Amino acid sequence: MSEPATGARGGTTGPVDPALPVIPDSFRHLGRSPVPATGLAVQVRGLRRTFGETVAVGGVTLDVPIAAVFGLLGPDGAGKSTLIRMLATTLLPDEGDAEVFGVSVTSNPKAVRPRIGYMSQRFSMYPDLSVRENMDFFASIRGVSKADRRTRGDALLESMGLAEFAGRQAMRLSGGMKQKLMLATTLMHEPDLLLLDEPTTGVDPVSRREFWRILADLHEAGKTVLVATPYMDEAERCTDIAFLDSGMIREAGTPAEIKAKVPGRLLELRAGDPRAATRAIAGLPGVLSAHPLGDNVRVLWDSSADPEPVLAAALLEAGIAESGVREIAPDMETVFSHLAESGPEAAA
Amino acid sequence: MKGLGRMGAVVAKEFKHLGRDPRMLAAVILLPIMQLLLFAYALSFDVDQVPTVVIDMDKTQTSQQYAGRYEQSVFFNVVRHGETMDDADVSFQRGVARVAVIIPAGFEHQIKSGAQAEVAVLVDGSEPNSARVGQLYSVALNQLFSAELTREWAERQGLDLSAVSGMEPRVRTWYNPNRRSSDFLIPGLMVVILAIVTIQQTAVTLVRERTLGTQEQLEVSPMRQVELMLGKIIPWALLAFVDVVVIIAIGVFGMGVPLRGSIPMLALGATLFILSSLGFGLAISAVAPTEDTANIGALMLAFLPSFLLSGFVFPLGQMPEVVQWISYVFPARYMMSLSRGVFLKGAGFAELWPELAALAVTSFILIAIATVLYARKVRQ
Repeated sequence: MSEPATGARGGTTGPVDPALPVIPDSFRHLGRSPVPATGLAVQVRGLRRTFGETVAVGGVTLDVPIAAVFGLLGPDGAGKSTLIRMLATTLLPDEGDAEVFGVSVTSNPKAVRPRIGYMSQRFSMYPDLSVRENMDFFASIRGVSKADRRTRGDALLESMGLAEFAGRQAMRLSGGMKQKLMLATTLMHEPDLLLLDEPTTGVDPVSRREFWRILADLHEAGKTVLVATPYMDEAERCTDIAFLDSGMIREAGTPAEIKAKVPGRLLELRAGDPRAATRAIAGLPGVLSAHPLGDNVRVLWDSSADPEPVLAAALLEAGIAESGVREIAPDMETVFSHLAESGPEAAA
Repeated sequence: MKGLGRMGAVVAKEFKHLGRDPRMLAAVILLPIMQLLLFAYALSFDVDQVPTVVIDMDKTQTSQQYAGRYEQSVFFNVVRHGETMDDADVSFQRGVARVAVIIPAGFEHQIKSGAQAEVAVLVDGSEPNSARVGQLYSVALNQLFSAELTREWAERQGLDLSAVSGMEPRVRTWYNPNRRSSDFLIPGLMVVILAIVTIQQTAVTLVRERTLGTQEQLEVSPMRQVELMLGKIIPWALLAFVDVVVIIAIGVFGMGVPLRGSIPMLALGATLFILSSLGFGLAISAVAPTEDTANIGALMLAFLPSFLLSGFVFPLGQMPEVVQWISYVFPARYMMSLSRGVFLKGAGFAELWPELAALAVTSFILIAIATVLYARKVRQ
């Protein structure tokens, strides 16, 4: 689970990678004119669901604006899948309700379904059918005409780079291609809202970047995307985020708003032995938190004093070589580890 | 109209799955044929050539004459001749013989002196069917032999026995005059195979949708449950019909099983029976968490009732009353008597409407129960 996260930490954080070509027109074939970028795609009101004694989602209230790329972040078991499944109308809530484009998922699920595309966390295609057959089957039970299946299927396969694998059996695809097949399949009936449950979990870093490139294109095409992910770095690619933990929303807002909640300044301290350095400076006045990261130590500094002499003195005392301190922009990884440490009461 | 399109998509998809899995296709087509051959030849209930040991302790002309009757009979196959009782023990234990005929010393003397002669016939009860037949035939053979002795005695005495009137039953078997078990089994086997193929495959493929996770994608589509169900059962019903046609063809043309009634009547019954299978398949898939459980459930609800509680092999009338009551729940018994009625008796609607009605009612109830079970499962 943590492996792809570590692998991606190298340099893929930050907004949609400028090195990758962003092709805003590549989803023009999706046809339906983009819904006006005002109003709400999803309104969640007090949604609650338990499984036996376990509270999976404990009263969530949430707004997803139209045309947002809304990141639902949180660790495993936070309740992300349960929340998404209730929005996808495959699971009934115990309490509360949610509206998708103004239609209730509890009282009128049939009217919600045509407007959503739901991609479950598990690979859920027929392994023995080909890429194209899977797309065609799910499109035809969604009522997409034969002509539309052909033109949309061709265009989607092309834009996702799957065209040459159209005839390949789904079970013979790589992890990244499987996810792209699922996404392409959910796009066949041209939904306005995409509910994606951890689409990049267990996918290699290159495929993850490509997947997010596709999501950015969909965003450009006016789709609303609600995407669950355990990877904090992916939050930076979203227009809005919410942090879910133990079935409750701890934080919600734009990435900038969330970052602003972190007090002080984020410093990067270069030290010979990052772990020893972390131990040496933890608890010093002004140090809110310290975490080793690669060859550096990330320090959250909340003091008006100049951090450099304070830190240098502590390291000198511990006999650790230090080669500089610089201030950096806070990233989501740090933001959430700080918010998680400060606990729910700080978030409230 | 849209519903038909969605159902058609499911049917086409199921055939694609079958096409990708040749082993599955082979199993569905070849297994019934293998079962047919197995039942027709290996599991035949026609008993003849029962291996027999003859122990002649009398060693006289009369005793040899009597033993000769066993040699000539097609029902017995005298495999050994013995001297003492121990030979019977040994033959039974080694499984060489199933019947032992023991002619005691003094056999001829007793007959000649006009006394009642006794012959011991031992049968190996570990195989009840041949034991029963061996017993019946040896009794018949003894009667014939004693009648012959009586006639010889009467002739020697100068009596005319034809003047003595006797009562003699003339038994004729109708519908299956030769009482061949293939005539009886093949119309029944058709029912068993219909049940297995449709119930098992519907249950397993529905559970597979869940284990693959595709069920959730089906749920978020506008497809109705009934469209999915019909789309699931149609391919298997078609394959089951192929099986049935093959079985009937082999039975009628290869084994000489008569088909006296109308094929449309049989098809109507089979259609109703397949609807009831749909109910079973659905009910199993609604409660079974895995494909393996579904397989076992199908075995319990398809194979066993259609095999044991339908009168296929064991007559229902001989079963305990409770079991007979249970058998009324399973449509297999109605289909069984319908199939045999059409094949052997040439029965039509006038005779078989109660079976058709029972099939329709059980199918309806089963599908209703299954739909309730299934609906509870969705969105939980």
